[in-house]
Amino acid sequence: MATNTESVELVGDEAATNLARAALFAALVGAFAYVSFPFPLSPAPVTLQVLGVFLAGIYLGPVWGGAALAFYLLAGALGAPVFANGSAGVGVLVGSTAGYLWSYPIAAALVGAVVHRGTDLRDLDAVGVGTLVGATAAGVVVIYAFGVVGLAVVLPELTLAEAFVTGAAVFLPAEAAKVAAAVGVVRSDAIAAA
Amino acid sequence: MTLSYAPGDSLAHRLDPRSKLLVQAGFAAAAYAYTTPRGLAALTLLAVACLSFAEGGPRDVWTYRFAFPVLALAPLVAGATLGAPWFRPERAAATGLASYRVLLILVVAAGYVRSTPVRESRAALQRTVPGRAGQFLGVGVALVFRFLPLLKRDLLTAREAIRARGGGALPVRDRMRLVAVAGVNRAFGRADRLGTALNARCFAWNPTLPRLAFGRGDAVALAVGCGLLAAAVVRAL
Repeated sequence: MATNTESVELVGDEAATNLARAALFAALVGAFAYVSFPFPLSPAPVTLQVLGVFLAGIYLGPVWGGAALAFYLLAGALGAPVFANGSAGVGVLVGSTAGYLWSYPIAAALVGAVVHRGTDLRDLDAVGVGTLVGATAAGVVVIYAFGVVGLAVVLPELTLAEAFVTGAAVFLPAEAAKVAAAVGVVRSDAIAAA
Repeated sequence: MTLSYAPGDSLAHRLDPRSKLLVQAGFAAAAYAYTTPRGLAALTLLAVACLSFAEGGPRDVWTYRFAFPVLALAPLVAGATLGAPWFRPERAAATGLASYRVLLILVVAAGYVRSTPVRESRAALQRTVPGRAGQFLGVGVALVFRFLPLLKRDLLTAREAIRARGGGALPVRDRMRLVAVAGVNRAFGRADRLGTALNARCFAWNPTLPRLAFGRGDAVALAVGCGLLAAAVVRAL
């Protein structure tokens, strides 16, 4: 073992709690990858990672929400089975779904910034349904823009339109259900600790 | 079945995690630089060797099956055109090669995941990313590994409870909402208890990490990784 002989640097109380929340949210997004719903029109079952991205932005805000999704990507790259179907590894981050994954921290930060109008968290009871729908819809746009461009970069012969047909179009209807679910979660007042 | 660390004493298990990460980076760069039939044939041998050094096999690659439909469909979409000649084989072939290289990169990554425990990955991360940023990421990654199985079980329990109460008849968005509410509440509950416990036990930025040391095998791995990176750079120039 490599023993540290310099003095111990304690983590502050607030930072420790925020860090724990961000890490737990990252693990939750990973656990959402295992929850699949069959969805009409969709060739593959729909998982809830994107819903996790929305909720991380909404409940943790732009800074810690983005950090949570950065933890998620890094943990997956280093071998935590958090990507679709419990896969893991650096390869996924340069593979066909790479664009979607890289967009998650950015989308979470964007959703958080729109919902909280800046980096300071505000009371979610004061946030209107319109803001929630707008924020999550903006998140969907960012995720699919990155995802389609990512697929076209990884498979360079595909044009953007072909990449959209291959990797995105069939999944879009399910995103509407996730936006509705995210708004439902926030409006239901069912989250105790927020 | 999921892809995860499998304890063992294989060649790959004994390598330093940093040299394994370098090999992966080099391999990905080389696969993107040499997307030709000959280049990918050579890289296929290397990828299979990497996975077998970690005592992995086809079962590990099968965990990436979510990626297969898009990779298989892409050459057909790229080749298809509206109007004569309807199908352009050269575009389909180029996209097929691009799809195949993604598969190879996944095979090499599976070798890393099989052969590297979390503690070593975290130590490699904190030694590669200096200062507070590395420590921050290291703590976060370690906590994700620790809590993923617990939250998976929480969500499974919630789904069973919803199903037992006839929730299967609800629309999809309501089922998603119920699972998400249960998951977020459990995650927040666990996070707040964890935060309190961490504070109570003097949670520090600089805990003791396992010692990492390059051995004789690492010299070969580092040479392979650097060689692949250099080959990719030469090709790009």
